Amino acid sequence: MLPPTDADVLVDVRGLHVRFGEIEAVAGVDLTGHAGQSTALLGRNGAGKSTTMRVLAGVVPPSAGTVVVDGHDVAHHPLRVKQSVGYCPDVGGLVPRATPWEHLQLSARLRRLPAWEDRARDLLERFELGDVAHRVTAGFSHGMGRRLSVVLAALHDPAVLLLDEPFDGVDPIGVEATLAVISDARARGACVLVSTHLRELAVEACSTVSVLRGGSRVATLAASEMLGEDGARAYRGLLD
Amino acid sequence: MPTAASSTDGPVAAARRAVVDVVHLVRFRAAHGRRRLLAGAGATVLALTTAVAVVPAFLPGAGGVDGRARELLIVLPTALAGFVLLAVVSAAASGGGRELLARDPAAVFPVSPTTDHLGALLLAPLNIAWLLQAWLLLGVTAYGVGAGALAPAQVVVLLWLAAGTAFAQVLAWSLEGVRRLPHGMAAVRVLNLVVLGVALWLQVSDRLTDVLDAVPTRGVVVSLAFGVTPRWAVTTAALLVVVVVLVALGAVPAHLAARRTPRDELKVESGRYPARSMPRSPLGAMVRTDRASVWRAVPMRRGVIVLALGPALVALLGDLQWDTMTILPGLVASGGALLYGVNAWCLDSRGTLWRESLPVPPGTVFDARAYVLAEFLLSASVLTVVVAGLRAGVPSAAELSALCSTLVVVTVQVVGASMRWSSARPYAVDLRSSRATPAPPAMMVAYSSRLALSTTLTGVLFSLLTRAPSPWVSLSLAVAMVAWSTARLLRAREAWVDPVERARVVTTVAVS
Repeated sequence: MLPPTDADVLVDVRGLHVRFGEIEAVAGVDLTGHAGQSTALLGRNGAGKSTTMRVLAGVVPPSAGTVVVDGHDVAHHPLRVKQSVGYCPDVGGLVPRATPWEHLQLSARLRRLPAWEDRARDLLERFELGDVAHRVTAGFSHGMGRRLSVVLAALHDPAVLLLDEPFDGVDPIGVEATLAVISDARARGACVLVSTHLRELAVEACSTVSVLRGGSRVATLAASEMLGEDGARAYRGLLD
Repeated sequence: MPTAASSTDGPVAAARRAVVDVVHLVRFRAAHGRRRLLAGAGATVLALTTAVAVVPAFLPGAGGVDGRARELLIVLPTALAGFVLLAVVSAAASGGGRELLARDPAAVFPVSPTTDHLGALLLAPLNIAWLLQAWLLLGVTAYGVGAGALAPAQVVVLLWLAAGTAFAQVLAWSLEGVRRLPHGMAAVRVLNLVVLGVALWLQVSDRLTDVLDAVPTRGVVVSLAFGVTPRWAVTTAALLVVVVVLVALGAVPAHLAARRTPRDELKVESGRYPARSMPRSPLGAMVRTDRASVWRAVPMRRGVIVLALGPALVALLGDLQWDTMTILPGLVASGGALLYGVNAWCLDSRGTLWRESLPVPPGTVFDARAYVLAEFLLSASVLTVVVAGLRAGVPSAAELSALCSTLVVVTVQVVGASMRWSSARPYAVDLRSSRATPAPPAMMVAYSSRLALSTTLTGVLFSLLTRAPSPWVSLSLAVAMVAWSTARLLRAREAWVDPVERARVVTTVAVS
């Protein structure tokens, strides 16, 4: 595989700050994501991972810094960014009284996807959600909700796939399906960012790992450096 | 040392623990609210209650043996019975009363059904309809008995308010228990129809006045009208016993209901909703999703039926005429907004983050939400007016114009206020349970007071215009009022379109 070039950059974050009143959730994150590459965001609770993901998804505007996604500045062209991104939020992420099919239909309508139904059915089957496609999501278990959130993020084959805690409470079949979605996205040249607390799965899913602490990035390593006991020690050292 | 509740605890110990738990939960809720705001609201309600309970007794004519004071004492028994009826409808519609702590967060705490019941009782007065009725009773009593017998009379009225609320709670829990049985929902619907049928039959056969005259509340009024007498002492003691017994008794159906699954929620969550054709436009897609969120929610469906039909039936039974019917749309629209509109962005709950990540202009999202709210309010108000007008004959052109104007004006007024408040004070709320409210109890009182005031004034204004020489008078005023409310709605839209403001709302309703 050829090393990534500047032309492959799909996510470019420079000096990102996000403030909520007096609280600074993100304090100067720099991050680069390339086409065909997957990056894991690791860090303790409150490190700024989910807020960074929300900025990349165009949900939360940056307080300072520049964030460019698929060539579009999120501060100036949030709609274009949303068109390019598939986002699985860290919490819930589902409208409680809508069915999975209605979620997919809404996404397809707003993204003007042609002939999306076969792709939607395929994804629902792969994540074992075909039987509940027409039931409202309020009755779903946490794991079912996570799996559907990944399906929604992947439906339109986005240029940038943002998965925030996609493995949380998910059964092994769901984990495998999520890993397959990440692998497929990389294969077609998408940039994937995965935020998770599960280091082993992060290593399995991603080629590089960025560790955030206190709202800033403290290290970016090859995923292989986070493997096994040595990787665990290295990660522990970066958290303190 | 184990701290969990023991199954060997007696009922007295369990009751004591439930009361202590209520205190803990109230403190927990109060800690989440803004203390100064809560203290201010509490002081205002207390001051108003004291004022309406005392001031009328010192007005000219108060306590007179004939004239208006006597007339008011004559209608007081009906008003006392009406209070109980309203309390029953309110508690039954909300599935046993409001929750001191929402069901999902409460699940991790050992909150007993008795605590839940006591909490619902405590929250029952935090409702503008309850407060208005209570103030009406206190004010009428003060004017009717005058300064001489004021204190003992108001003691009886306050005990009546407590007894009526506790009775309503017992009945509401019992109905909720029945509703959760197999075929229970159908049984409750049949019961509602029977009650409705009997009320209509009484009215049609001219027996309603006789029945109202025979309500046992006459004895209560007689006992409170003459100061401290043996009869007053007996009534006070009896009411005190009734309050204690009803409060304790309410725990029984509360426990029975808590053991069963809420079938209406289960029906919504396990039901299948077949796929529909692709919406024609992004706005259509957003509207369809919002409509599903509204009409598939148990509290909204149940609430809107009660709101639309309750006032309509009262108007029908009371033979309300077209010139006073302009009060109804405001009442219904205000109530409808309190079901979810005052915190409209909570409809998507935790799905708000995902919806916000969709590529659609924020203005379209706002338009869809406001449109669906307007549609919800207007459909309820129109149903109310149509049912209420069944016996009112054919309206004149001026009456029809005033009524249609009121419908449109109050809808735009209420939608504008709701969308403003939804952005200014968002709350993370799951409207899954029939007992859920879109905002904390104190805020609900504040919202309902403001909505009731503005829409009632509008209704009264258009009521006066039913006598206008031309229907164009109402329509001209309506155009001006709609323009004013639309301008305020557009300002709320501008605030929503701002990305920083929107992010604050989205992260609050989705994450908190």
